Amino acid sequence: MRTIGWRAVYHIDTGETHIMAVYKIKVNGTEKSVEAAADMPLLWVLRDLLGLTGSKYGCGVGSCAACAVLVDGKEKKSCMVNIADVANASITTIEGISQDHSHPLQQAWIEHDVPQCGYCQAGQIIAAAGLLKQKPHPTDADIDKALSDHICRCGTYQRIREAIHAAAKGNA
Amino acid sequence: MKTMNNLTRRSFLKVVGGVTAGFALGCFPSTATSAGTETAAKAATDPFTPNAFISILPNGQITVTITRTDMGQGVRTSFAMLVAEELDADWSKIGVRQAGASSVGENGQGTGGSSSTTSMHNDLRKMGAGARSMLVAAAAKTWGVDAATCHTDTGRVIHSSGKSLTYGELAETAKGMPVPSGDIKLKARADFKIIGKRTSRIDNKAVVDGSAIYGMDVKVPGLLRAVISRRPNYGATLLTVDDAAAHKVPGVVDVVKISSGVAVVATNTWSAMQGRDALKVTWSPGPNAMLDTPKLRASLKAAVGEHKPTPAGAKVVEAAYDLPYLAHATLEPMNATAWVKDGECTIWAPTQSPDSARGEAARLLNMPEDKVTVHLTLVGGGFGRRSMNDFVHEAVEISNQLKKPVQVVWSRDDDLRNDHYRPMSHHAFRGAVDSVGKPVAWSHQALNAPGRGKAGKFGEANIPYNIPNSGMTEGGVSSPIPFGYWRSVEHSQIHVVNECFIDEMAHAAGKDPFKFRHDLIDDDRLKKVLEVAAEKSGWGAPLPPGHGRGIACFEGYGSYAAHVIELSVIAGKIKLLRAVCVIDCGLAINPSGVEAQMQGACSDGLATALHAEITVDKGQVVQTSYFDYEWIRIDEMPKQEVYIIESNAEPGGMGETGYPSVMPAVANAVFSATGKRVRKFPIRMNELV
Repeated sequence: MRTIGWRAVYHIDTGETHIMAVYKIKVNGTEKSVEAAADMPLLWVLRDLLGLTGSKYGCGVGSCAACAVLVDGKEKKSCMVNIADVANASITTIEGISQDHSHPLQQAWIEHDVPQCGYCQAGQIIAAAGLLKQKPHPTDADIDKALSDHICRCGTYQRIREAIHAAAKGNA
Repeated sequence: MKTMNNLTRRSFLKVVGGVTAGFALGCFPSTATSAGTETAAKAATDPFTPNAFISILPNGQITVTITRTDMGQGVRTSFAMLVAEELDADWSKIGVRQAGASSVGENGQGTGGSSSTTSMHNDLRKMGAGARSMLVAAAAKTWGVDAATCHTDTGRVIHSSGKSLTYGELAETAKGMPVPSGDIKLKARADFKIIGKRTSRIDNKAVVDGSAIYGMDVKVPGLLRAVISRRPNYGATLLTVDDAAAHKVPGVVDVVKISSGVAVVATNTWSAMQGRDALKVTWSPGPNAMLDTPKLRASLKAAVGEHKPTPAGAKVVEAAYDLPYLAHATLEPMNATAWVKDGECTIWAPTQSPDSARGEAARLLNMPEDKVTVHLTLVGGGFGRRSMNDFVHEAVEISNQLKKPVQVVWSRDDDLRNDHYRPMSHHAFRGAVDSVGKPVAWSHQALNAPGRGKAGKFGEANIPYNIPNSGMTEGGVSSPIPFGYWRSVEHSQIHVVNECFIDEMAHAAGKDPFKFRHDLIDDDRLKKVLEVAAEKSGWGAPLPPGHGRGIACFEGYGSYAAHVIELSVIAGKIKLLRAVCVIDCGLAINPSGVEAQMQGACSDGLATALHAEITVDKGQVVQTSYFDYEWIRIDEMPKQEVYIIESNAEPGGMGETGYPSVMPAVANAVFSATGKRVRKFPIRMNELV
């Protein structure tokens, strides 16, 4: 753990101690340092401490995957990962997929007009990016398996499949 | 809705004033996005603003002001398309800006009932056409020619000699042209370049790079987050609060009582959530502490009254169906940001009714409405939930106590347990068919909790079928579970079960369910969607054992839908195989959007057919996340085929129309596969009849 400092918040009336620490994490290629409780989920570190609001809060208990990010290239639900657990890791959020919409998945998502409300789509794209790293040419069954944790409340699943296939083909 | 004539430059300037107040604060990120780049609100030169909905900058950027909430139905795109078409604009230059509450002087900005397009499309087109005629007049003046010798194409005015000027180049001169009045000529459909073309949603770029701003993403300096400890059951009242432990959670800055509970306010959302967990709150349970779903279900069944009499000698068909409470479960939970200070209140909210939010805040704060500004963010799913502004109310209450900017965040369990629910209902049917299989009676008693309509009073049966002696009565029982508008509202109940029962009638008559329906329908458009659904699905073609097809149709909101669902039931498990979705919504402004609405409504129909159910125990909603309020996921989603009927009719509504015929098509397919009827939703194999 690359913790670079600790701060104990001590409550004189109860004697309770909450440990705060400063963590260095690498987000979208940039080193960031944040002061947080060790058990603060990565989601809230990203959203509230770093202002990276592309990762969405949908449930906080791992039931919707709107908060998915890549941790060392692997998809994780950021609401289920504590900051202390990722201090050594490299994290990619939707903002790090590309800011110029040049990533094949982003292009395919726009071309196939996938989003409806759009709230889940960051998580879906992250999951698709994780999948394509493992399987550059996934089948429908591969897609269904890799994305089955992800709720799209608007029902864009069919277009998600189409867009992933298009991105995989490189002809988005 | 005010028309072109009185929505002039003056009212537009008022809009710009309201909208740019946020920019002036330097804290509200623009929700303006465009097909090209972020629309400038920064340009040095004033734009040409022919009316409240359009502004054109000298650099050619065009901004369309959107006065409805986009919760995923694509109205920010389709409204911009309507304006751009008549303006004859270059689509790549079009951006949108979301209007705040009442800022265009439009009466009632609520979004719901599939009414946005049906109510606004002509006015939006007129706005575009009017602006176009002013640009043509500006070009004619510049060149000293007759306007009749000029035409437009893709953002340029072109003279018969071949010379041309862009709209941007004409913006300054156009300011001096008179705003057209009287009848404004609109384009013939044959001349459409934008309407009717599949168009990618205008917010897609912002969505896929993470920059789209939903309610929870609003950034205000010094923003505090609040999470609320809420009643443990309906009707409970607050007794005591011990907030000592909550105050000790790092980041917690305050604990305040509000009307809906006890709010823990912190510098970040996680601390607020931890602080709420650390609160010790006691409640008096009140009268509903023993309320549960079985009791409500029993009381609904007990409320069934007399049916309309059936003719003597006819074969009687009877069935009763049960539907559960449904939550909206929008993926973005309820949230709102408010900042009350110096006699003013600023709100940023993902709401379907910004006007009501403003009025509600003004009443709560005892402030004139013009001291309350409501900014509308993007909305992470609505489905009717955000017609209620309870979450806005909470943010205002808390900020009013702290005089600081506060964002109220509902956790997922807050959201599922404090919704305004699609009511649970019981539907008792009695119909009859004569000796040749012709239906001769139809009686439907729809009983809701909470009740709706006047019990025992038969009205129109609300069916598209020619059946004599038909009627429906609505009633129900009281329930503390609050009523809410849910996709397709009452049709999510009445038409769902109607389409199940007509299938049972067809079976009793010994008729094919497609032909039976078709023979009873007068409306050609409804007949047509049924025909296309049957044709595309291969209706009647043999299926392997354990497989089934079900059909259903719906007419409403000015549109027509039909569905055929194909599934298998093997080893007691339903597998969805294919969904054929047919829609006639009149003119499809954005076919990609129409198709998306059909896909989404189909997803909702499948989810509520197979999974979704809100239950009540000990006076409280049981479900707390998507683990127990299950929605359909990608691995269950069958292949969806959407067929859009070419139509010259006026545009109809799309948000709701695709939903009501999906669930019954699933239920009827289960019957086709198993010979057993679905009488209770969500479908459970051990409950088939």
